[in-house]
Amino acid sequence: MQFEPKIIAFLCNWCSYAGADLAGSLRFQYPPNVTVVRVPCSGRVNPMFILKAFFTGADGVLVGG
Amino acid sequence: MPRIGVYICHCGENIAGAVNVEEVRKYAEQLPEVAIARDYLFMCSDPGQELIKQDIRAGLVDRVVVAACTPRTHEPIFREAVAEAGLNKYLFEMANIRDQDSWAHWHDKEGATAKAKKLVASAVAKAAFLEPLEDRFVEVTPAALVVGGGVAGMFAALDLAGMGYQVYLVEKNPSIGGNMAKLDKTFPTNDCSACILTPVMVRVGTHPKIKLLTYSEVESVEGSFGNFKVKVRRKQTYIDWDKCTGCGDCVNACPARIPNEFNEGMDNRRAVYIEFPQAVPKKAVVDLEHCLNCGKRTIGTAPRIHSKTGKPILAPCERACKTGACDRSKAYDPEGEIIELAVGTIIVTTGYRVMDKAPFKEYSPQSPNVVTAMQLERILSATGPTAGHFERPSDKEKPKTIAFVSCVGSRDKRHHTYCSKVCCMYMLKEARLIKEKYPETDIYIFFIDVRTAGKDFEEYYNYCRNLGIKMLRGRVGGVDELPGDRLRVRAYDVDLGAPVELEADLVVLATAIEPAPGLAELGRKLGITCGSEGFLKEMHTKLYPVETPVRGVYIAGCAQGPKDIPEAVSQARAASSAAAVPLTFGKIVVEPLISEVNQRKCSGCGTCEKLCPYSAIKLVEDKGRLRSHIDEALCAGCGVCAAACPSGAITLHGFTNAQISAQIKALAS
Ligand SMILES: Cc1cc2nc3c(=O)[nH]c(=O)nc-3n(C[C@H](O)[C@H](O)[C@H](O)COP(=O)(O)OP(=O)(O)OC[C@H]3O[C@@H](n4cnc5c(N)ncnc54)[C@H](O)[C@@H]3O)c2cc1C
Ligand code: SF4
Ligand code: SF4
Repeated sequence: MQFEPKIIAFLCNWCSYAGADLAGSLRFQYPPNVTVVRVPCSGRVNPMFILKAFFTGADGVLVGG
Repeated sequence: MPRIGVYICHCGENIAGAVNVEEVRKYAEQLPEVAIARDYLFMCSDPGQELIKQDIRAGLVDRVVVAACTPRTHEPIFREAVAEAGLNKYLFEMANIRDQDSWAHWHDKEGATAKAKKLVASAVAKAAFLEPLEDRFVEVTPAALVVGGGVAGMFAALDLAGMGYQVYLVEKNPSIGGNMAKLDKTFPTNDCSACILTPVMVRVGTHPKIKLLTYSEVESVEGSFGNFKVKVRRKQTYIDWDKCTGCGDCVNACPARIPNEFNEGMDNRRAVYIEFPQAVPKKAVVDLEHCLNCGKRTIGTAPRIHSKTGKPILAPCERACKTGACDRSKAYDPEGEIIELAVGTIIVTTGYRVMDKAPFKEYSPQSPNVVTAMQLERILSATGPTAGHFERPSDKEKPKTIAFVSCVGSRDKRHHTYCSKVCCMYMLKEARLIKEKYPETDIYIFFIDVRTAGKDFEEYYNYCRNLGIKMLRGRVGGVDELPGDRLRVRAYDVDLGAPVELEADLVVLATAIEPAPGLAELGRKLGITCGSEGFLKEMHTKLYPVETPVRGVYIAGCAQGPKDIPEAVSQARAASSAAAVPLTFGKIVVEPLISEVNQRKCSGCGTCEKLCPYSAIKLVEDKGRLRSHIDEALCAGCGVCAAACPSGAITLHGFTNAQISAQIKALAS
């Protein structure tokens, strides 16, 4: 079976989270293996969160802000 | 133990079309701490909200997760519902299974369903760590700022002032009035622009609740919704406006000649000038860049003394001024003056500028007889360069044949892809005004398609056609200069299916409407953005057309996009009523999703103070030790401090470490 990476995205509510919403409303299709954690600002993303994501099983992390 | 209720929305087919809702519901039901999982066709509808409320009232759930659309639009709605049922409204979380799931994975039903489960699990995990929070309230400064004094800005200011609020109207030019002040007559009713506009300008100028700050620009904006602190720079006029009566004696005395912006460069103004005869305020301004420094005296220096008469040698302007307002020996600060304003809400109405003809080389812009439509407005206007006489610029002759070229710079990939929206109507208007006065004139309008969608507009169009104005469908390829000041218009007539040529005495270019210069920079100061075409972006095209993503900042008129006067005024009055709501309520709810310092853990290192983008953190001495202190009114809840604190002393409510960690775990496993 093909490797499907598990990606966790930390997205800023005001820009990239809104961008992800817009992508949806424009019906842009992308693979479902990326899931989003909404944060108030990419500055909220403590480096520990990124490590935690890897430790608990994520294959990739995206920080958008 | 928390009792979490999960409510999954079908959103009609929007979610259910890609996500197997029943499967997600069953999955949610067995998650730890979930007491109930239900689904409904439209969760945000009244019966949908009622489902949640009933479960809360029955004591079945004490935390709520709704899996539906985006929290950016619907979180406030569900929080209200939760609060109405008696639960703290911050014991609520959303899973975005529409915008970020079903819509984006429409053709992968299995993938979309699996992802929905994860998103629900993540929201449930966070919900278990939610804590009740209390809203805060901030007093609102009962004043408003309007930026841009065109017809939109003036109506916004008058409405707010009429409700009793203090209004500051900032205009970058010496006078208010904007582009409408340049127009001759206005469609669709052809009333004279000056007759309807100047009384409004006078009302604005004399209203006790409106403080006019003309020849001024916004320097910086601080603070936030309800309490903005705005610095405005009043540019230096080099004339004492308290003394200036607007008599114009200095203007008549000035020997300098500079192209007159108000008449679109078709005649000259002086270095000291009053923007136009009906200016409000009617005050003179010295354009220092073009001042000749008569009498060899730069501004701010004492006059030389005449060797024979012993009298000071004054510049013509100050000699002419009877009030002492024009005094060149005064040491003016070239930077002008900074005025600080405190306002609760801000409306941006900076309007537009029309494109110049120069970039359109194919239309012979070097010919004085190729004019823009705005130049033609000035030629037709009684206050224009020809005092209302209909003459072409090269030889002051009345043109017998006129060609209008539409969509110049609009609907054109090389310039602007958008439609400037008003050009078709103003071309018809200008043609009609000429044809009604001089019926023997031959008028041709070259168009791509005539867009006259508006109340009474199609009737206007038909009337013009019946007057004998000729409409030709086809883009104009070029305009050539011919001997005798004639012009040749080359076009392709789509209806004939053949190239056509026409000789004309005057060619009018309907040049595109563009955002006002500096709009993007003003936007940055306010935190609002421009769309790809450069106009300010509204929050929601349909439902929040005058709001912006920055709370307390509203937009109206051509700053938001090309539009005519009726539309600009309607939008301005909508913006003023939206901006008045918080002023009237007197206080605004501030979400308690802000940071808090645990004083016992804080080591006083100051990391947070340096990083806070809102300057909300100060180190304060407490029992001989420095401790971080967060100003609740300034904290925007970004959480930078919480992420950076090496002692883990800062908690960002609503996005705590425990909550986010729980989400990560749910998503990664
Ligand atoms: C040739 C032509 C003919 C037209 N004829 C008609 C007609 O017959 N009927 C009709 O309904 N519409 C007509 N229109 C459209 C009409 O001009 C606009 O709808 C109207 O003027 C828009 O008003 P506004 O207040 O939004 O913008 P503007 O009139 O552009 O006013 C904006 C004001 O903001 C000021 N400003 C800009 N930037 C700043 C800043 N950074 N800080 C402070 N102040 C700033 C400007 O100096 C200006 O005073 C015509 C347009 C053109 C080009
Ligand atoms: S309003 Fe008419 S003339 Fe103006 S750009 Fe649109 S189509 Fe062209
Ligand atoms: S970063 Fe943390 S420890 Fe340092 S001052 Fe701020 S709150 Fe205190």
